[in-house]
Amino acid sequence: MFFGLMQYQRNAEAAAKCIKSLSSGDNNPMSQSRSFRAGIIVLLVGSLVGLAVSLYAYFAPLTGVNGTLGALAVILSTIALVVMTLVLAPLSCRSGRVVLRVLILLVLVGTGFAGLLLHQWWLTAAMVVGLIGLLLDMASPAASTTPAHS
Amino acid sequence: MPTSLSPLPLATLKLTAQRLGAATALALLLAPAPLLAQDQPTEANQSSANSNAKESADSQNSQASEDVATTDTGGRKDSDRPSIPLVPENATWDSFHGQLNAQKYSPLDQITADNVGDLEKVWEFHTGDLSDGSGDIPASVWSATPVFANDTIYIGTPFYRLIALDPGTGKEKWSFDTQSSRKALTQPVLKNRGVSYWEAENPVAGEPCQKIVYMGTMDAQLFALDADTGKLCKGFADNGVLNVNQWNDTHAVWPLSVLQPPTVVGDHLMLGWAGMDWAYEQAPPGTIFSLNAQTGEREWTFQALSDEMRKKSGTANVWTHMSADRENGLLYLPVSSPSPNYWGGNRTEKAPLATSTTALDIETGKVVWSRQWVHHDLWDYDINSAPTLMDITVDGKQIPALVQATKQGFLFVVNRLTGEDVWPIEERPVPQGDGSVKGEVYAPTQPFPTKPAPLLDQSKKPKIWGLADAVGGGQCSRLWDDLTYEGMYTPPTTKGEGALSYPDSAGGVQWGGVAFDPQSQTAIVNTSHIVQTIKLYDREAYDKANSGSGNESGFAPQKGAPYGLRLEVANNWLGMPCWEPPFGELVALDMTTGDVKWRRPVGASQQYGFYMPEKWGSPTIGGPAVTAGGVIFIGASMDAKLRAYSLETGDELWSDQAQAPSVSNPAVYEYKGREYVAFVAGGNTILKDQVGDQVVVYALPED
Repeated sequence: MFFGLMQYQRNAEAAAKCIKSLSSGDNNPMSQSRSFRAGIIVLLVGSLVGLAVSLYAYFAPLTGVNGTLGALAVILSTIALVVMTLVLAPLSCRSGRVVLRVLILLVLVGTGFAGLLLHQWWLTAAMVVGLIGLLLDMASPAASTTPAHS
Repeated sequence: MPTSLSPLPLATLKLTAQRLGAATALALLLAPAPLLAQDQPTEANQSSANSNAKESADSQNSQASEDVATTDTGGRKDSDRPSIPLVPENATWDSFHGQLNAQKYSPLDQITADNVGDLEKVWEFHTGDLSDGSGDIPASVWSATPVFANDTIYIGTPFYRLIALDPGTGKEKWSFDTQSSRKALTQPVLKNRGVSYWEAENPVAGEPCQKIVYMGTMDAQLFALDADTGKLCKGFADNGVLNVNQWNDTHAVWPLSVLQPPTVVGDHLMLGWAGMDWAYEQAPPGTIFSLNAQTGEREWTFQALSDEMRKKSGTANVWTHMSADRENGLLYLPVSSPSPNYWGGNRTEKAPLATSTTALDIETGKVVWSRQWVHHDLWDYDINSAPTLMDITVDGKQIPALVQATKQGFLFVVNRLTGEDVWPIEERPVPQGDGSVKGEVYAPTQPFPTKPAPLLDQSKKPKIWGLADAVGGGQCSRLWDDLTYEGMYTPPTTKGEGALSYPDSAGGVQWGGVAFDPQSQTAIVNTSHIVQTIKLYDREAYDKANSGSGNESGFAPQKGAPYGLRLEVANNWLGMPCWEPPFGELVALDMTTGDVKWRRPVGASQQYGFYMPEKWGSPTIGGPAVTAGGVIFIGASMDAKLRAYSLETGDELWSDQAQAPSVSNPAVYEYKGREYVAFVAGGNTILKDQVGDQVVVYALPED
C-alpha cells in the first residue's frame, strides 16, 4: 500500500513537470536540435500523407473501401497521429515523451497493418515513413529529459 | 503537489491547435480533388405507363399440369435432330445468359489471354437507381446482365426503369420509367435481373414493335417497349402492359413478381415469377406462362404441383432464367422447392416436378422429361440457374447434354433430350431426422452424381476454422457442439441451435450458372462454401425468439405451418466464418471426362472494408462468361472486383475495381469491329451491404 502511494506520488510529480515544461519556453521547436526536428518532421509528414490517403480511400469512388468503417477508422487513427506528433514536438519531459512515443508506435503499426488489409499500400508506406521519423526522434540526443537551451 | 493533472496551458493549446489546423489543411490539399467525380444519374424522360392492365384472362390457355415426371421424346431419334453447334458462328449476347443455351460463351477472340491485361475502361454509366435501404426505399439488388441487341445495350434497373445505351460510348439513347411501386412487396429488397429482347423474323417495314424489349416489375407487370424508340407497344396486352397478377388465382398472398425477364424462345415469351420465400405455408403455386411475343396472349400454362398439392402448399415456381433447345423444341425449367421451404408436413405426397430440371415441349408446355434433384425438399434447395446445354464427347460418343448446377454444389449431367444420366446418378440413403418435428416425413434417399465430383466436399462436417474460433473465444466450437449434423441432407430440427447445413440456400452455385467453352469442352463454374444453421421453432417459441430478419437470413414465420424458422450463417461475433476457407472458388471441368481441370479461390472476402487474403477466396453470387480468346470474365466476389482468368490455367490475368459486387453474368459483344466486355455492378445484400448503379464496359486500346 505504502509503495503504491509512493509510486503514485512520483508519477504525479513527473506529470506536473511535463505540464510545466509545456507551459514554459522550453516548448519552442527552435530550441530543439536539427536531428530531433528532422525526426518530428518526418513523422509529421508520414502522418499527414497517411491522413490524405485515408481521406482519399474513404471519399473517392472505386477505391474498394470508400465509405467503409475500416477507411473511417484509419482517418481517425491518422488524425490521432498528427495530433500526437504535434504534442510530442514541444514536449520535453521524459515520461511524457515515452508515453507518447509508445502510443505513436502502436498507432503507426496498427494503421500500417490496416493499410495492408484495406489494400491502401500508400497508407502503409506513409506509416513506414512515420516510423522512420519516430526512430530518428528517439535516436536523437536532443530528445532527452533536459530541454535544449534557447 | 498536485493530485490530478491540470489542463494544458492555454498557450500550448493554441500552438497545438494552430499546428493541427495547418496539418489538416495540408492533408486536404494532398487529397485528390475529384472525390465525387461519379457520373450523375440520368432522369427518366418517358411517360408513365398504364398500370391498370386489363383483367381478362386469355381464353386460349391450355393447362399442362403434370403430376408425374415422364420421358417422352415424341418418337424422334436423337440422331435425327440437329444439335447445338459445337462452336457458334455468331457472337450473341441478347439474353440473361448470353445465349438461349445458357453457355455464356462468345466466339469473339480479339481479347485473348495474352492481351487481356491491356484492357481499359471505355465507358461507364450510372443509372442513379440505387438505395442502401437506410431511407424509405428498400435496398436495391441488381443482378441484370447487360443485353446487347439491335446495336444497343439494354438494361433494366431495380427501380424498374428500362434504359437503352450506345454500345460504343454508353450514351443514353432512351429510357422508360414504369412508375412501378418501389415497395418490397415480395422480396425484402428491390430487385431486377434485367430485360429480354425479341425481334420479328419477318419484320413489317414501317411498323413499330418489330423489335421489342421486355421488363417485369415487382408488382407483377410485364412491359413491352419498342426497342428502337422506347415507346410502349400498343399491340401487346393492355397497351403494352401485361398484368401478370390476373392469373394469381390460388393463395394470392403476394403478387407474382416478375423480377426475371421472360425467356424468349422464337415467338414465345416463357414467363416465370418470384414470390416471398419462407413466409407462408400456403402460397401461390408455381406456374410458367407461354405468351405470344407480339400480343402478350397466353398460349399455355405449366404447373409444377398437382391440383391436390396446390390447395395445401404452393410455389415450386421458376424464378430464374430458363434455357431452350429450339432445334429440338425443348424448354428447360429450373424449378424451385414447394412451400413452406423448411417444413413439409403439409406436402407429404410426392411432388416429382418440384426442385427439378423439367423439359417441356415449347409449343404445348407438356412435360417431355423431368429429373428431381431433391426429394421432399426441406432446405430451400431451389434449382436456381438455367441448365447449360452442351454437346460433349464422352468415351468417343457425342452426347447432347445439359449440366444442372445446384445450391448443394452438385453438377448433374444428363442427356438433354431424354433426361437420362450421362454419368451415373445414384440414390443414396440420407438422414431421417431426430423426431423433433411433428408431421414431417423424410425422403429415404437423395440423388448423388458420381461425376463430376461435387464442387465442394459436403460429405463431411466442415472443420472449424481455428482462427475464427480463437477470435470468438471458442464461440465456433460451442456452436458446432450445439448443432445437429448427421451428414448431408440433415433435416431441420427444433433442438439446440438447429441443424448444420453445408451448403444451404446461399451456398453452392447461384443463378450465374455454368459457362461452357465448346471448343475445349470445358465447363466453368463459381461456387460458394457457406455453412448455415436452420432451427425450427414451434409457434409459441417462435413468437418469443423472433428478432427480425435480413435478406435470406434471420427469422421467418412460415405462417400457417406449425413451425417458424431461423436461418443464419455460422459466423463468430466479428462476422468471421466459423468454417475453414476457401469460401469461394472458380472451377474448370473437362466435360469429356467429368474431371476437374483446375480450381482456385476466387476473389477476396471483405469485412468493414478490410480484405482477407485471396487464398481464402470469397463467397460468390453471379457467374462467369468465357470467350474464344481463352479468357474467363467474372465479378461475383465480395471485394467488388472484376477479374479475368486464363481458361487454360486458371491464372488471374486482369482485374479492376467496380462500385459494388457484380452479381450477374458479364456480357461480351462486338460493336463496329471492337470487342467489349460489360459488367453491371449492382451488389446484393446477401453477399455484402454494398449497392451500386454502375454499368462499366472494357475493351482493348484502339490502335
